[in-house]
Amino acid sequence: MRKPDIALVPSFQRTASRVAIRRAVNYQQDLPAVIYQTLRVFELPVKGKTVLLKPNLVGFDPLCEMNTHPYVIAATRESFLRLGAAQVLIGDGPAMDRDTEAIIESVRLREFAGPLGGIFVDLNLDDVKRVVLSTHASRLNELYLPKTALGVDFLVSMPKLKTHHWAGVTLSLKNMFGIVPGSCYGWPKNVLHWAGIDKSILDINAALRPDFAIVDGIVGMEGNGPIQGTPKPCGVLVLGDDPVAVDATCCRVMGLRPEKVKYLNAAGTLLGHVDAAKIQQLGETVASVRTPFAVLDEFKELREPEGGVWN
Amino acid sequence: MTPAGDSLDSQHLLSESAFAAKLCLPLIRSAQNADGGWGFQAGLQSRVEPTCWAILALRAHESTASSGEIPARGLEFLQKAQLANGSWPAAAEESSGSWVTVLACWVLAADAQAREAVAAGVKWICNDWPHDSATWRRWRARLFSHRNITEQNDSYRGWGWTPHTSSWVEPTSLALILLASTPGDLLPKGAARRRELARCMLYDRMCPGGGWNCGNPMVYGVAGEPLIVPTVWALLALRDEPKRPEFVMSLDWLERNIGNARGAASLALARIGMEAGGRKWPQGATTIAEMYSRNEFLQNIAVASWACLASCPRHEWLTGGVAEFC
Repeated sequence: MRKPDIALVPSFQRTASRVAIRRAVNYQQDLPAVIYQTLRVFELPVKGKTVLLKPNLVGFDPLCEMNTHPYVIAATRESFLRLGAAQVLIGDGPAMDRDTEAIIESVRLREFAGPLGGIFVDLNLDDVKRVVLSTHASRLNELYLPKTALGVDFLVSMPKLKTHHWAGVTLSLKNMFGIVPGSCYGWPKNVLHWAGIDKSILDINAALRPDFAIVDGIVGMEGNGPIQGTPKPCGVLVLGDDPVAVDATCCRVMGLRPEKVKYLNAAGTLLGHVDAAKIQQLGETVASVRTPFAVLDEFKELREPEGGVWN
Repeated sequence: MTPAGDSLDSQHLLSESAFAAKLCLPLIRSAQNADGGWGFQAGLQSRVEPTCWAILALRAHESTASSGEIPARGLEFLQKAQLANGSWPAAAEESSGSWVTVLACWVLAADAQAREAVAAGVKWICNDWPHDSATWRRWRARLFSHRNITEQNDSYRGWGWTPHTSSWVEPTSLALILLASTPGDLLPKGAARRRELARCMLYDRMCPGGGWNCGNPMVYGVAGEPLIVPTVWALLALRDEPKRPEFVMSLDWLERNIGNARGAASLALARIGMEAGGRKWPQGATTIAEMYSRNEFLQNIAVASWACLASCPRHEWLTGGVAEFC
C-alpha cells in the first residue's frame, strides 16, 4: 500500500515543485523521446516498481477530442519501462459509459499501446478497499477505492488539458475522479457531485495523491468541456512532480488564474503549490506557450486580465 | 416483448450461440468463487452485480435451470449478502444498499424460497426516492439557479445508482424491468405511481434524436450523444409501448448505430435491444466472437454473461422466468 506521506504537507513546509513544459505541436512528433528525456530530468524512483498510468478516458471518442491521446499514453508507458519500471499498468474508470472497452477501442489505445491483456485495468470494476477520508473537505467520510490504484508504487495522473462546465478546469486533480469505481457509485459517479465536486476533488487527492502528472495539452478542449467543448490546439505537454503545481501551470498556459479555481486554490494549502514562486519551471516558459482558452460565462472570473499576467 | 421469430438472422444467432457455449459459459463457470459468488473478473472478490449476471446467463443456457449446482451456490451468496434493511451492497464491505438491489431481486424472484428476501428488496427499492427531484430542491433550484443547466422536468423521478442522489437512466430502467415482472402481492403501496413517474422520467431524458445516455440529454443547451448501453436498458424498460414515437425513434437510433459499437458489452446488449424491438440484426455486423478476439472482453464476467444472454433466441430472463430451450 502506498503511504499518504506526501499528500498533506502545509505549503510553507513543502519544498519547491518542478514542472516542465515541453512543446509538441502535434501527435506525429516523437513523443516517446520527448517524454523519456523529460522524465529523466526528474530522476523518479521507479526502477523495479509498479507504475499506474491514469489517463482521462471519459467517453466514446473516435476523434480523440475529449480523452488523453493514446499516443501520449503509449509513449509514457514506454518511457517508464525504459526508466526501469518493472510493470507499467494503464487504468481508468470512465464516468459516463460502462462499456470501457468501447471507449478504449474508440480511441485506438490497443493500436498504440499493444495488446491490453494484463496491462489495462478497468478501475470501475476492480476489487475495492474502504478508505477513510481524513480531510473531510466534503461530507463524504469514506470511499471505496480500487485496490490496484491503492497498491501500486507510483501513480501518474494523465489528463487532457480541458475546461470543465462545473469545476472550471479538469486537469490532473480532477482526473482522479476516474479512480472512484462506477461499480460502487454508478455511471456517472453522482455521489461525488452531491458531495460537492470541488470538495470531493480535495478528498480524493488527499487520500490518493498522484506521484506525478503528465498533461496532454497538444490538443485540449475549451468552452463546455469536459465532453461537449471545442478542441483547442495548444501544442504542449506539461509534466511535473506535484499535481497541484502542474494544474496551476496548465491554468496559466490556458490564460486562466489558478487561484480562482476553487478546488485548486484550496489544494494549494496542503496538497501542493499553486504559487508560481514555489514552482521551478523547466523547459518552455508559460508566456511562450500561453494559449487563452474560452470558458463558460459561469467561469469568466477565471480569465486573466487583458494582456495576461504571465510574461 | 416481440419474440425473435422470423425477424432474426438465425444463422448468425447460431454462431453466437455456439460461441457462448464454447467460450463464455466455461469462462463464467470457471470464475465462480468458493463463496458461490462472482467477481467482475476471475480471481476478484465476489460482488452482487457480476453474480447476478452470471446466474442469469447460466440459467438461460442450462436446461436444468436453477437446479444446477453452480447457480444454486450463487443464489446462496446473494441471500447471505442481503443487508438488514432489505437492500444489497455493491461491494462486500459496504454497509449501505445500492442499485444492485434491483438485480438481486430480479435473480432471486425465480426462487420460491427467496420470496421474503425479494419482498424486502422491492420494498427498499420503492422507498428509495432520489433527492434531486425532492420538492424543497426543486424550489431551491428555481429560486437560486440563474441558468437551467440541464433543461429537464425535475418533477419526474426514477432511481439513482446510490440512495438519496439523482435519477439516472440505467438504474431507473433496470428497476422498471424488475417491477414490471414482480408479482402484485410483493409490490408495496405506491409502486404503480413510482413506475409511472419513472417512465415519464425516461421519456423526458431521451436524447433529442432518440436514444439515451446516462441521463443528461441536454447540457447548457447542447444535445448529448446517446450511448448503446443505456439506450438498450431504456428500450427494454419501455418495450410494452412499442409503437410510441420515442420508442421507435430510439430503436431506429440503435439500429443505425450497431456498426459503431466498439465494445462487446454494447454489441451484446444491442442484440438484445434489437430483438426486444422486433428488428432484424443487420447483415455483416461484427459478431460478439470477433469482438472477443480484440480484448477478450477485458475478462469481464458481466460482459461474458451478456454475450450468453444475447445468444438466446427468447429472453425470459427479462421477466424473471427461466428459459428452458436455449
